[in-house]
Amino acid sequence: MKNSYFPGCNLKTEAKGFEQSAIAVSKALDAELVEMPEWNCCGTVQTMTTDNLMRRIAPVRVLSRASNHVKELKNSQNQVITLCSMCNSTLKIVNAEVKENPNDLEKINFQLENDDLVYEGDMEVKHFLEILRDDVGYENIAKKVTNPLEGMKIASYYGCMLLHPEKAKIDDEEMPTVMESIVLSLGAEVVDWPYFKQCCGSYHIVDRDDIVNSQVVKIIRNAKKTGANALIVACPLCAYNLDNQQVELEKLGVEKEPIPIFYFTQLMAIAMGLPQKVNHFEDHHINPILLLKELGLIGKKK
Amino acid sequence: MSYDYIEFGDTEKEFTSKIEEISGQNIFSCYQCGKCSAGCAFSNLMEKTINHTMQLVQLGKKEKVLQSNTHWVCASCLTCTVRCPREIDVAAVMEAIREYTLRYEPETIERLDLPEELLKKIPNIALVGSFRKKSEL
Repeated sequence: MKNSYFPGCNLKTEAKGFEQSAIAVSKALDAELVEMPEWNCCGTVQTMTTDNLMRRIAPVRVLSRASNHVKELKNSQNQVITLCSMCNSTLKIVNAEVKENPNDLEKINFQLENDDLVYEGDMEVKHFLEILRDDVGYENIAKKVTNPLEGMKIASYYGCMLLHPEKAKIDDEEMPTVMESIVLSLGAEVVDWPYFKQCCGSYHIVDRDDIVNSQVVKIIRNAKKTGANALIVACPLCAYNLDNQQVELEKLGVEKEPIPIFYFTQLMAIAMGLPQKVNHFEDHHINPILLLKELGLIGKKK
Repeated sequence: MSYDYIEFGDTEKEFTSKIEEISGQNIFSCYQCGKCSAGCAFSNLMEKTINHTMQLVQLGKKEKVLQSNTHWVCASCLTCTVRCPREIDVAAVMEAIREYTLRYEPETIERLDLPEELLKKIPNIALVGSFRKKSEL
């Protein structure tokens, strides 16, 4: 089956490994992600104001183009798939808002006239994790595993945008299981830890890295304390903050022995024996290859 | 007994109702349980706790609200929103205070001067997010 896929800006720059590993995994699981044509930035953060329709135009344009793309794909469900959890949240919230307020949708559609687009409110937004859980199923993931991740103790970091707010959450907000279930089906060990959705500091990295650092220290120390040797994430910004700031904290002498940060799809690609180049580990700030080699998960003879 | 020391004149009312209008929330729903502040990951960095800010908005104390760094430290993680027993979108109230400043008092915002190397390094979602929350862009 083919799915319309909205990348968002970071998947083409810092998070190439996330996108390419996800596409490779989706093909192997027969739930292929096909990039939609002519997409634009979703706006990154959803506006929580009641009166700012301008901030809602970009997501609606994405939804209307995705709707056209689904028709081209044939046999595809009326859904657009995201990988970045910030895109997921923004698109889901705006989608729900315009469905609830047809007057707002009419005004926004008026703005889309120049692009010859109309959004009918006929799309659903899904995160790739939801596709893996609901369409593919954990047992089918487990069937494709050729290189079980023995020795990996993984703390699943959801961050805030996958679980908040009500309109955008993909799982139970206080006790999610989707990432853990995937980790288990890959043959790795799950770490039960309380900091799975403690905010990483998000966009404060631009001008207040002290806020981000104080969060990263808490999150990483807790992960280590509970025995994790790696973290998985689903958001390029969480990934950057946790990855890069661990290196910065080491330079500052605050925290030693950084632990690697993976996108969940990268671990799936390794467990499923897909070519390693899709993971783009060279973009990481903490080298994840060291741990994988130490555990004998890569570089083995076939 | 007189309650003259609590002033709630037109100026106060105007601020409170503007925040309510931008956020779409009923500020007076808040009964000061403090769950928002207790669960906030950034409470220790805020000059005023969130529930204190909520009360100041109820009372229309514009200067006190805007002087505090509370709404700028908020990273919109929405933990307060999903936990509020009165179902107030607390993060939307913080957003409304930011928006109020950006719309009506933009001269109080500090302009960012970001070095070139930082701009190259930081993910674009962080830049767009930051500009959208902290500037009128």
